[in-house]
Amino acid sequence: MSEQVAFQHIEKTTLIGKRIKKPDAPAKAIGKTRYINDMVLPQMLYGKILHAGRAHAEIISIDTSEAEKLAGVHLVITAKDTPELRLGFVKDNAPLKDKVRCERDEVAAVAAESEAIAAAALKLIKVDYKDLPGVFTIEDSQKEGAPVIQERFPDNKSLKFEFKHGDLGQAEADSDIILDDTFNVHYVTHCCMGTSCAIADFDHNGKLTIYSQTQYPYNYKMDLAPALGIDPGDIRVIQPPTGGSFGAKLDVYPFEPVAAILAQKTGRPVKILFDREEEFINSPTRQPASMHLRTGCTKDGILTFRAADVEMDNGAYTSWGATVPVIMMRTTSGHYRVPVVDFKGQAYYTNNSYAGSFRGYGNVQMTYATAQHMDMLAEKLDMDPIEFRLKNAQKSGEVTPQKSYLRECALAECLTTAAEASDYVSKLNKYTDEREQEGRYKRGIGLASSIHNAGGAKIHKSDGCGTILKMDDYARVTVITGASEIGQGIDAVIAQIVSEELGVPVEHVNLVNNDSDLGPWDVGVHASRTTFIAGNGARRAAIKAKKQILAAASKQANVSADELDLRGGFVVQDKDGAVVTKLDKMLRQMHFQPEPDVVMVSDYYEPNSEPEGRDHISDHSAAYSHAVHIAEVVVDTLTGEVKVEKVTMAQDVGRVINRMGLEAQMEGGMAFGLGFALSEEMLFEEGRLKNPNFRDYKVPTAPEMPEIEMHFIESDCEEGPYGAKGIAELPTIVVAPAIANAVYNATGIRFFNPPMTPEKVARAIWEKKNA
Amino acid sequence: MSEIERYIAPTKLAEAVEALASSGVTIVAGGTDLTPQINEGKRRYEPVLMNIQRVEELKDISLDDGEIRIGCLATVSEIRYNDIIAGFVPILCDTANRFASEQIRNAATIGGNICNASPAGDMIIPLLVLGASVELASWKEGAIEIRRVPLNGFFTAPGKTIRNDNELLTAVVFDKPSSDFVGQFRKSGPRPALEISTVTVGIGGDLKDGKFENVRVAFGAVGPTPMRGGATETALEGNVLNDDVIRAAVVGAQQDATPIDDIRATTWYRNHLIGVFTEELLNNVCQN
Amino acid sequence: MSVKIELNFTMNGRPVNIEVPVDMTVLNLLRENLDMKGTKYACGEGECGACTIEVDGATINSCLMYAVDLEGREITTIEGMQTGNILHPMQQSFVDHGAVQCGFCMPGMIIQANYLVKKNPNLTREEMKRGLEGNVCRCTGYTKVLDAVADVVGAKG
Repeated sequence: MSEQVAFQHIEKTTLIGKRIKKPDAPAKAIGKTRYINDMVLPQMLYGKILHAGRAHAEIISIDTSEAEKLAGVHLVITAKDTPELRLGFVKDNAPLKDKVRCERDEVAAVAAESEAIAAAALKLIKVDYKDLPGVFTIEDSQKEGAPVIQERFPDNKSLKFEFKHGDLGQAEADSDIILDDTFNVHYVTHCCMGTSCAIADFDHNGKLTIYSQTQYPYNYKMDLAPALGIDPGDIRVIQPPTGGSFGAKLDVYPFEPVAAILAQKTGRPVKILFDREEEFINSPTRQPASMHLRTGCTKDGILTFRAADVEMDNGAYTSWGATVPVIMMRTTSGHYRVPVVDFKGQAYYTNNSYAGSFRGYGNVQMTYATAQHMDMLAEKLDMDPIEFRLKNAQKSGEVTPQKSYLRECALAECLTTAAEASDYVSKLNKYTDEREQEGRYKRGIGLASSIHNAGGAKIHKSDGCGTILKMDDYARVTVITGASEIGQGIDAVIAQIVSEELGVPVEHVNLVNNDSDLGPWDVGVHASRTTFIAGNGARRAAIKAKKQILAAASKQANVSADELDLRGGFVVQDKDGAVVTKLDKMLRQMHFQPEPDVVMVSDYYEPNSEPEGRDHISDHSAAYSHAVHIAEVVVDTLTGEVKVEKVTMAQDVGRVINRMGLEAQMEGGMAFGLGFALSEEMLFEEGRLKNPNFRDYKVPTAPEMPEIEMHFIESDCEEGPYGAKGIAELPTIVVAPAIANAVYNATGIRFFNPPMTPEKVARAIWEKKNA
Repeated sequence: MSEIERYIAPTKLAEAVEALASSGVTIVAGGTDLTPQINEGKRRYEPVLMNIQRVEELKDISLDDGEIRIGCLATVSEIRYNDIIAGFVPILCDTANRFASEQIRNAATIGGNICNASPAGDMIIPLLVLGASVELASWKEGAIEIRRVPLNGFFTAPGKTIRNDNELLTAVVFDKPSSDFVGQFRKSGPRPALEISTVTVGIGGDLKDGKFENVRVAFGAVGPTPMRGGATETALEGNVLNDDVIRAAVVGAQQDATPIDDIRATTWYRNHLIGVFTEELLNNVCQN
Repeated sequence: MSVKIELNFTMNGRPVNIEVPVDMTVLNLLRENLDMKGTKYACGEGECGACTIEVDGATINSCLMYAVDLEGREITTIEGMQTGNILHPMQQSFVDHGAVQCGFCMPGMIIQANYLVKKNPNLTREEMKRGLEGNVCRCTGYTKVLDAVADVVGAKG
């Protein structure tokens, strides 16, 4: 290595806000990356699960003898092999079932030498069912004499949430306008391109290594252990590259303990991998909800109250889906300034599928309602729609009734930026005028906004993330972080931040974050938290390392450490960038001295947020953010097809870190919202999914994507890394009601029950015309 | 899934047809329908799997003596980019352009799309509009015997045709349309192509001195098979396409169609779209 | 088990000789017998394009094609695009434009994009969208994918 110093002075520059490439992209682009789906371990067996395929039944008997006889089959297990092992949010679920409560239910499982043999073995298992009357609606679940789904919950009621603030009666009396509508949001699912997979492998000491797609490797151990009857400490979680997640893997689902039980009992690694149909039927959904929303307002356009009564179909088991009111109520109380709030949320057991966490978590549902009510109020008031929203928009420093502290609030700027960029108000008026005129194709424009946690969400005891950082003698950095990578790009962000602090090339930062035996604790990748929390952690660790290096350099060069900096692989004078020494040389000198000084630092970053608490009155996130989407649509009033031509977004991102990754999250997040709004819907008939394939469950394809114009508002969040806020859920949350408002603008019809499919839209227009 | 005992990949038509003389043969070409149907358990393999992809003579698209002939192995992409088709039968290009995805267009054959006999089989609609026939080859006394049957009447039920198990559909043939011919195809969206059609409509005829003659109308996904629209054709035949005639055609179309409710659409929507598309296509014809 | 036959074809420029069950798909042959796992399974019925490969110069869904039909043909999989350790310009463009997130659909997407540009070096953005209609991506919303392809088209033009 040349010791020659190439230049004498190095200017201070920054990487923050630049476009940083994902370090794992080249291997993925050449097909070299081995995803969990691609993995094969030595001696590995293939597991397959027999799902009930019926909604509600007693299991009279299971005969596995023929399956066990099939050549290549190693083991067949049923519920009797897994006594008293529970999983789920209220421990109402089990790896294998002794009674069928929904179509997904796992009745038996096989481990065999190939997938084909395992599949053949499933067909040989004879189950004698006695079908029971099923419950498929919330209404039916509450009828007298309704079948009980879960014996521990005889009233068929699962989780309940409440929040009240202020005098509702008075607020109603003070209101000149009260809107009262019910919005019903439907079942959709993640459709990760890589289907669900787990590989379990026990060693002879009883320690389980599980290769998993989980988004929360550390708490995952705690949730998985009771389903196996082992100590959480005896689980090692390895997260190989995964084909998307989007919230789908924020809980333990039965296939994971089933793989582990098969592995434990056979003494061989066991892999369970879903095919696409299994993935559709047996994966979590977004929580469907019936949201009865009332919003009050004075004739001057000041919001007086919001009252939301949310009923949720819990399905047969309770996962994260039923907990979405935690966020729904933050939207009810915080989406614009709402002085009086009354929120109720109740989940009811049925024999339907059950919901998990899903990008936008509760807020996709609630904002679909609140943002349409804002639009409806503006029209009723006959007030400039931006003026109305600005009147009610919070400002920096305001606190919501739930005590969300909006330290830096850029809602007003988001509103005016997006409105001006899209010429919103004049288009809105023009299209309203054109609505009643002749013509098959109608244009519409619609605006929606929302608020979301942007600095984590302290729903667990800790919302923190650990980081370990070391530097070697060649100035290469290894960062071991608790943060998980599921494709969203935290790998690039952490490399960028560490590179920014330590003045080394981004390519010289290696990330280790896929092994729970190595990584320090983190609460998982969810809640738009990772750049904020893990980014802060990485930055703090890097700053510690930098201090250590500068202290050593200061001694050597006889300059105060404050006057030194790290830039471009050198220790330099801060004021003029004059080179003091090469960084790698400095590190070697620190290392090979009588008292070795090696750079190995750690950090645990805990955000300054407050735990959610049972009363839901807490500043539960370290930051909050707003986004505004304006959708421009063309509606074919005869076929009912809605074409979204353009979406203009303005989002408070705090500060742009990796511009390329940020844009990518905006675009991809918006696509989820687009599918939710227009085309995606799981169609159930008596608890059975009728469209478990991409033919009839329609995710957006390339031709359906609109033009996207993005405006990033930088509010400079005090707590966030370099001022950044979390960003990835808002684009999914805001676009659907923007489209709904645009479709209203085009047609004069409100769609309270998405998705706005061609048939639904055509029918509504036809009925209005022929009324 | 049943076992395949023998695999054959004939290179000559005679070999392929002779192989069909004994029963128990599954024919595969592009595989785009067969593979998912096997996977979903909707079809089972016969003891012999015959891959006909190597029979070169079944790939040609030709124009000979006023007749256009498309070999059964022509892919949807080949039809889409063929000069003869583009020059004389743009309705087939339009339809090919709205068929599934580029990858499927590259693999799916015209013969496969016809023999699959889906009520929503897109390529069938323009062929019905063109008055096409199919050629069915069988082995008779040591030689190939070919019978020609009109496509209209070929389909008997979803997935079922009058083709016998010992017959190979070798080509689809139709008269080169006259220079007055105008043909239109419409498929429900909103995706441009990757949709199992909710409704498809094809309309074609000679537009001469303002009159629409030799009219053929075909509908997809609104009955158990792709079908001709007799009442619609009657309403249009020989008439000037004014508002009254178009209105009568729409009424006729809704009489012709016998749609059902399924997960893709209700009867109401299918009937509605039949009317919308019929009117839209006739307006397009007028503008031609 | 269905009967097996011996098969000869060319994969990424190299000859392959292998015995395959006659009912096997190309996708399963690649993934299970040839350890070519860059080509992905995501739907198994031609609706998502994750398994796209090139066969004799045209892209197909390898989950739908019978392996036996590869006899004598030339195929290109995602693993066959780069030269040594140098990424193919299309692969590099996807990396440079941030089109790769989870990346699971990208092998199929890149093969398809490359095919489209080979077929039509002056591809418009609308034509790109149509040509990629059969490739589902759940991460990107396709925008960065289209940017990546447009850049390759632009560089050529």
